[in-house]
Amino acid sequence: MFKKLNLFSKVSFVWIGLMFFFAIAGKLLPIADPTEYFDVTGAGLFTAGHILGTDSNGYDLLANVVVGARNSLSIAVISVGLGSLIGGILGIAAGYVRGKTDYVLSVVFNIFLSIPNLILSLVLIAVLASSSDPTVPVPDSRRLVVIIASLTIVIFPILGRITRGSTLAWTNSEFVIAAKSMGMKDSQIIKRHIIPNVLPSIYAVAFLGVGIVIVVEGALSLLGIGVGDGISWGSMLARAQGDLEFAPASLLVPLTFLALTVIACNQVGDALRQRLDSRESKL
Amino acid sequence: MSNFLKVKNLDVKFSTARGLLHAVKDVSFELNSGESLGIVGESGSGKTVLSRATMGLLTMSTAKKSGSVKLEDVELTELTREELRSKWGTEMAIIFQDPMTALNPVRRIGAQISEGPRVRMGLSKAEAKKHAIELLTLVQIPEPEKAMKKFPSQLSGGMRQRVMIAIALACSPKILFADEPTTALDVTVQAQILSLLTSLRKKLNMAMVLVTHDLGVVAGHTDKIAVMYAGEIVEFAKTEDLFRNVRMPYTEALINSIPRITTKSGTRLPVIDGRLPDPTIPLVGCGFAPRCKYATDKCRTEHPDLVDAGNGHMYRCFFPLKVMN
Repeated sequence: MFKKLNLFSKVSFVWIGLMFFFAIAGKLLPIADPTEYFDVTGAGLFTAGHILGTDSNGYDLLANVVVGARNSLSIAVISVGLGSLIGGILGIAAGYVRGKTDYVLSVVFNIFLSIPNLILSLVLIAVLASSSDPTVPVPDSRRLVVIIASLTIVIFPILGRITRGSTLAWTNSEFVIAAKSMGMKDSQIIKRHIIPNVLPSIYAVAFLGVGIVIVVEGALSLLGIGVGDGISWGSMLARAQGDLEFAPASLLVPLTFLALTVIACNQVGDALRQRLDSRESKL
Repeated sequence: MSNFLKVKNLDVKFSTARGLLHAVKDVSFELNSGESLGIVGESGSGKTVLSRATMGLLTMSTAKKSGSVKLEDVELTELTREELRSKWGTEMAIIFQDPMTALNPVRRIGAQISEGPRVRMGLSKAEAKKHAIELLTLVQIPEPEKAMKKFPSQLSGGMRQRVMIAIALACSPKILFADEPTTALDVTVQAQILSLLTSLRKKLNMAMVLVTHDLGVVAGHTDKIAVMYAGEIVEFAKTEDLFRNVRMPYTEALINSIPRITTKSGTRLPVIDGRLPDPTIPLVGCGFAPRCKYATDKCRTEHPDLVDAGNGHMYRCFFPLKVMN
């Protein structure tokens, strides 16, 4: 299957594979300690010893990007996955059942969409994952769970609305009426006719969501409520915001990794969809 | 068995933004088992709504339905949704107009055909596959094993309509509603599909309701014809009788507008001027009066009833055409 893909898709697959490898094995690789200060600050690309340069604090950028992949990707994959699942189920329910269910769920989606996501995360973390006694810090794992939960809340109404719209269109299609006229139960129609048709639009938005989530997580890090060790692409971006003049690499390196990952996700999603979706005839 | 399907005073209204839309007005007809009925009318005459309402497929909340539909002495309008669902597929099935949209684009033909038998008849996967291949052979699809693995986008329109027919026949229904089954197809394929439907109907002793806007389509393929105009049946007769002894001027106008082999080339086909009356406004006189060349003042002020001329030939006209013989 891999051989049949075009070059762009192959590169994308390799890139995503590499990022996951970093996420899993990043700390074991022979690279600098991401938390160590070096004398060279704001070094550009290809500086000796720091191939991707350092930021204005003297952190090695390569080490940060590689090790940061773990936090960024795990948060993005889990929260987007959960958000897609919840949004998908609610969206299909709203679009298929219609009536009051649709009304109530649409209102729920709109309410969650209208809450600014940063403030929502801030409140959730302040309430659920902060301690009144500074000497007894909240465990990192708990903070991670709350961050993932708050990002899931950001993602699910978006997915829910997309899924609802797509479900509405497919529910009124003739093959669904035809399946009904053959005496199919609603659960069978949803499983066999609605979900296979709605999935492509869920994928498309979910892969975009990965990028959104990585950036939002960075904003949380900037406010000091990010993941425990503070090593993630988002937090690198957040820290480097003011340093574009003196240390452009510190902004461009995580940005490039983020952008390439999102583009690769989209491309892989597209390639998967083309393989799985028969509407684009393979004649 | 007589009176296999008995539709009595079936009436369908839709509430729309422009007011109450009276789509089907007090329609009654009967059909014996194994018989075929053609429902003919122009676009908007209510023929599709009639066929869907008969099956009980009108589920939108805006539809108001009254009257009685009896299938083998079971009153369908009083069944719960679940009881009605158990009749769909196994007792009655429907074929839709557009085979492009009536098949799920992301599922293989085989899966779509065997779905009904597996769920409704409890067949195993292997049995359902065998049954599906038999069905594809029945609807004359070449290389059925290969076709099972194809997606709808890999088949031509005619082939897709055959697949639709195979799906509808999968649970051996006793009555098949065909809602303009050939409208989306070109003329040669049209003829093939129609003769396929007729031969299957005779082979399986199945009743059929063929909905179409083309009198030419129903002529050779039905036992009875109901002509619909503005939601009403305006003429109802055995097919042969209808073409031989037209009573309703509307039917006559329809027949005259079919091109014939004897029509000289270059001559204009007669057309029926005007349009259907607005279905949201209640009819005062005869619905066809404004377009009828024989219309009188009586036609415009009084609504004609359906009159039986004997031998089951019914028409809705004050001044029926003379019988020729």
